[in-house]
Amino acid sequence: MKIDRDRPNDEIPTSSMADIAFLLIVFFMVTTTFTATRGLDFALPEDDDNPPVIEKEESVLIEIFPGGSLRVDQNPMELGEIIEYLKPKLERNPKKPVIIRPDVATEYKHMVEVYDELRQAEDHGLAEPINISVPTQREIQSFWY
Amino acid sequence: MKLKASIEHKPNIPTASMADIAFLLIIFFMLTITFEVDKTQVQLPKTTLRFEIPKKAAYVSIDPNGRIRVSDGNSQSSLVSAADEVLSMAATVISTDPTKTFVVKSDGEVPWEKVDEVLDALKRAKVRDLRLLSDQRTVDDL
Repeated sequence: MKIDRDRPNDEIPTSSMADIAFLLIVFFMVTTTFTATRGLDFALPEDDDNPPVIEKEESVLIEIFPGGSLRVDQNPMELGEIIEYLKPKLERNPKKPVIIRPDVATEYKHMVEVYDELRQAEDHGLAEPINISVPTQREIQSFWY
Repeated sequence: MKLKASIEHKPNIPTASMADIAFLLIIFFMLTITFEVDKTQVQLPKTTLRFEIPKKAAYVSIDPNGRIRVSDGNSQSSLVSAADEVLSMAATVISTDPTKTFVVKSDGEVPWEKVDEVLDALKRAKVRDLRLLSDQRTVDDL
């Protein structure tokens, strides 16, 4: 006589594990967005009611006009020429403030280009980072000459 | 002569390592995922220098039409009508976390006047850590 034995199954059922894993992968793939998470740090000076008075002669003024044309201390200049112009001035006085003043209608990207260029001063052979200042329109109207 | 019975091979795809691969991918996605708080579509300005922006930073975005959206870094960004609302949001965030990083995500074609309003609002809210979101400038852009 044949004895019918109930043999217990000793395997862990893992057939659905891959399904669950791929479901999670699909979720993460759909929700992940590889976005730009880098940028320039932009130092905001203290909002002081009595800021130090900077004489016009002490600083370098970079004006940016719509379309990206530049004027440095009233002289028309290309972006790549700014550092060369600043070098002798900053070697005499490394703390000399460089003021970026974009026209209100200037496209934002042109201001960022100039700021990025000035931030790379040390790569262009300057010993110290440039003391860059970007006053807002309110500050210009309130405190500036 | 006695012939050997041919051994029957069951077709079998080896799937034992599939779960390993799948879980490896899951761990990768879990570590790299960041839930974007601001989905404004903008053409960012390009810069040579770029630094990593801390996670959970607050966002102020300006789209090509000059519309401003703000996010405290935890919730999705919402549209605001004026720069004064940026000031009130930033002041609230700074009152709870004075070292909070703020990110300005603006389209490159937006007039400076608009960005200036936002920067002024952030300055008045006493934001100390501000970043300008940018794309990488490559040799093709020069």
